[in-house]
Amino acid sequence: MSQAASPSTGHAFLATLKRDLVIAYKRKNDMLNPFMFFLIVATLFPIGITPDPERLGEISAGVLWISALLASLLAMDNLYRSDYEDGSLEQLLLCPYPLYYLVLAKNLAHWLVSGLPVVLVSPLIAYMLNLPQEAYLTLFLTLLMGTPVLSLLGSIGVALTVGLGSRGLILAVITLPMSVPVLIAGTLAVQQTLNGAPLLAYLAIMGAMLLTALTLAPLASAAALRISVN
Amino acid sequence: MNWTWFHKLGSPKWFYELTSKWLPWLIGAMVIFLAVGVVWALLYIPPDYQQSYTTRILVIHVAVAGTSLAFFPLMAVAGTITLVWRMKLADMVAKNAAPLGAWFSFITLATGSLWGSVMWGTWWEWSDARLVSMLFQFFLLVGVVALRSALEDNDTAARACALLSIVGCINVVIIKYSVEWWNVLHQPSSPLSMSGESANGPEFWVPTVVMIVAVYLFFAVSLILATRNEILQRERKAAWVQELVSKA
Repeated sequence: MSQAASPSTGHAFLATLKRDLVIAYKRKNDMLNPFMFFLIVATLFPIGITPDPERLGEISAGVLWISALLASLLAMDNLYRSDYEDGSLEQLLLCPYPLYYLVLAKNLAHWLVSGLPVVLVSPLIAYMLNLPQEAYLTLFLTLLMGTPVLSLLGSIGVALTVGLGSRGLILAVITLPMSVPVLIAGTLAVQQTLNGAPLLAYLAIMGAMLLTALTLAPLASAAALRISVN
Repeated sequence: MNWTWFHKLGSPKWFYELTSKWLPWLIGAMVIFLAVGVVWALLYIPPDYQQSYTTRILVIHVAVAGTSLAFFPLMAVAGTITLVWRMKLADMVAKNAAPLGAWFSFITLATGSLWGSVMWGTWWEWSDARLVSMLFQFFLLVGVVALRSALEDNDTAARACALLSIVGCINVVIIKYSVEWWNVLHQPSSPLSMSGESANGPEFWVPTVVMIVAVYLFFAVSLILATRNEILQRERKAAWVQELVSKA
């Protein structure tokens, strides 16, 4: 028995997380692209709809949320792709740790790299889009709690389609409808804060979504990976 | 408990032979119910005092809408059977249920829009939770169909779609409630409520029940016919299929 020598599940989780972060750091362009995509999409709305500050202020929460959703979708492609191609995904499935934690680690790394920058820059874009100031905190907090849910849900779709050659559009068709509840909760929270509703209720709902996604989505992703990688 | 019936379900041949016996009855019942339901609903329902003749569309709409809600649970159950017991038949049913469900959802939206264009004065209304959640059910079903057609390997496609159906089934419920919640906050008193319907007497609900039975029968017959096709295609190398085809 080499039980004593093999590291614990916690170590495996941290090792997977560290590995993915290092890989992301070495490919800075992959890191930067979703972020730039978010900035560009968000700035297309004023050009496409209206430069009028009042009307922009009304739609800005939705614009930010949809841009974040699309950026998250775009970044998804990197999640399991390269690991699938170089065979390390297979090794991940074969190793004796619960796949749930390894998938969670990969999702967390992915969110830290592609989701968090978007959340951090969102107040700046909100300012450019003339979002009323009372809503900044709500927007920031709901994005902070909502974007991980988008990553976790998207991970299921990516895991299901990882073996496909061209899957950009199919991923969108599968994943986008699933993200609707998050989008609703996020934009509603911002609108209702502007109407003077208490923030805590929406944070509670966002938190409930986050916890549900954290517990269930990696299980579905893990099952999907096992299906896709034979 | 005797479980042989359950194991028999895994045999496409057994299903094919059983449905050969059932189909004439099912089709007969479907034709009768459909004929009675459609003629009654579209020609003989008296005009409602508020909605006049448009209620006739509703009879078909309600029946199709009710049936379309059955698809995701059906596919989730079939998907669970595929994942747990690897029963080929469950996947054949699930594979054909997805596009059928997408069509049912589409017809629900179309008939609803037709009715809405007269009664609400608009083809589409974002503030009605049922419309929006039906639209997303349609999108999710299209997603399952798309995934199925993208994956070439039958076994992988079966299990991937099974998983997606289970996730989708949970998601439809969450979407339904979140959209409702979204609307309650947007529009506290909905002028679009269908409360007029419940006020109607038997001259309205009897044809509705006939129509619901008819549409469910139509759903069953379509699904069985499609599944039988699928069985013949996938089992084309089996002896009993060869024999069946050479006889015909």
